[in-house]
Amino acid sequence: MKLEIKDLYVRLQKENILKDISFGIEDGSFVSLLGESGCGKTTLLKSIAGLLDIERGDILLDGDSLLPVRPQDRGTVIVFQDLCLFPHMSVEKNICFSMELKKTPKEEQKRRVRELLADVQLTGFEKRKIQEMSGGQMQRVALARAFAADPKILLLDEPFSGLDEKLRVEMGALVKRLQREKHVTTVLVTHDKKEALQLSDKIALMHQGEIIQHADARELLCNPCSPVVSEYFGRSAYVTGEVKDGVFAGEGYRFACGEADGRYDVMMLLDANVCCFKSRERGLQYGKEDRV
Amino acid sequence: MKKLTPYLLSVPQIVLGIIFLTGLITGITQSLGVIPVFGLEEVTFDYYKEIFAKPDMLRSVLYSLYIAFVSAGISTVAGVLICMALVAAGRTKGKMMRVVQIPIVVPHVVVAIFVINILSQNGLLARFAYMLGIIGEQQDFPMLLYDPGGAGVIFAYLWKEIPFIIYFVIGLMASIDGRLGEAAVNLGAGRLSSFFRVTLPLCMPSILSGFLIIFVFALGAYELPMLLGATVPKALPVLAYIQYTHPDLKHRPYAMALNGIVIAISLLSAVIYYMLIKKGSMLLKEKEWSE
Repeated sequence: MKLEIKDLYVRLQKENILKDISFGIEDGSFVSLLGESGCGKTTLLKSIAGLLDIERGDILLDGDSLLPVRPQDRGTVIVFQDLCLFPHMSVEKNICFSMELKKTPKEEQKRRVRELLADVQLTGFEKRKIQEMSGGQMQRVALARAFAADPKILLLDEPFSGLDEKLRVEMGALVKRLQREKHVTTVLVTHDKKEALQLSDKIALMHQGEIIQHADARELLCNPCSPVVSEYFGRSAYVTGEVKDGVFAGEGYRFACGEADGRYDVMMLLDANVCCFKSRERGLQYGKEDRV
Repeated sequence: MKKLTPYLLSVPQIVLGIIFLTGLITGITQSLGVIPVFGLEEVTFDYYKEIFAKPDMLRSVLYSLYIAFVSAGISTVAGVLICMALVAAGRTKGKMMRVVQIPIVVPHVVVAIFVINILSQNGLLARFAYMLGIIGEQQDFPMLLYDPGGAGVIFAYLWKEIPFIIYFVIGLMASIDGRLGEAAVNLGAGRLSSFFRVTLPLCMPSILSGFLIIFVFALGAYELPMLLGATVPKALPVLAYIQYTHPDLKHRPYAMALNGIVIAISLLSAVIYYMLIKKGSMLLKEKEWSE
């Protein structure tokens, strides 16, 4: 389903956490909310799920506002960072939780649990207690539980952050495969650029409660809309110099560029082979870019 | 010196333990009829048997169990319901908790005076009822104190123990509700459903532990049944005290046997308490997230 967020403002404890967030997510696509800790990613996720009150703005699902819909009826299912599996229930009961609420027939529940456990490669784990599972297995149960709720939108709140590198990659691939198979619109919150770049169709880069750029990986790397974006994605260097006849020279660097003659501050993204020019005289914003 | 430190630090514990155990062992020995000073040297279960055979003593045992069970039961249910309301309203910290703490620190004797002032036939309620013409004379006000039903004692315990249960449970309940309750709502559960399916079952070991603490306390406490209870039947501790101070010293084993019953129930409760706490902490233990 298509998710749209319009001019969203959220205040928590008298502080503006989200400011003027607007972006859309296409049906069945995978979007990552990327940004450093405390930039409002999880707040945005919880706002979508209706677990936080919003100040103003709107959240639309296939064109209909979600705001009047109670959190339990939204179908925006979160896989929490700390998983939040119910420790007094078996694996099966955890996965069945949403189906129990919908009063799905027992046989149907059992069949779905078998299927979902096969999907997350935990066949035969129905009766296991949560305490007996390893971290990776618990992640899989949390994922199966989320899919069992038939999510309209799947929201993943840094679900892999507690895992080691190998498991992260494995879980990432599993999530991506299931998301494709089930064609579920998915939002992943992460502070791991690599994870975001590998898994997402698009990335929304967040900084201090705002989305600075929402684009695909290539666009973000090659056309960062501000220094914050380019800094976030790679090693960068700031150089002051002069362009003359289409050649920039300064502080030991010398390369061709398309800028008009004049003095410039240049930010170079060393990883992405991109430069941003800021004219000293005309006071242009960063934004012009060129191949080094 | 370093080697000695742990032993030195455990000295207070050991001293207290010795005092406690000496009292306990002496009490149990005496309850078995062994008090050499009085010429009683034979081990016998007769005193226990007699307690269960004598109607007034058996009534005391049942009366005490009844008071303890009813007051602990109502306190627990009421405490949990109030906790639930406070958690739902998000008032689990700050001023509200200060208010909850007040009754916990007020001594039981003072509570007895409150209760006498409020519930006795000369108390506030009786006067209001008389003033409003609900009763013709103050003496028509129902005998809530010193009655065999134990209403006064139970009321006093409720005033003290409901806040205790709230205080004992609310932290855990708020934290479970905030985390796992939120997850349940996200999966489609309403507030109530989320509370009864997730929050309450996970708080249960803690709630039952709270129940046991006040149950055992009410079973063994002397002052409230003494001040507010009926003449007959008497609560176990009151009866034990009377037997202990009886001019005929040969009554002392009865006193000790009565205490023995309280001790046996308390020990059983302690074992259950320990098991519940262990279960609760196992359930809520955060698992390391590594393979």
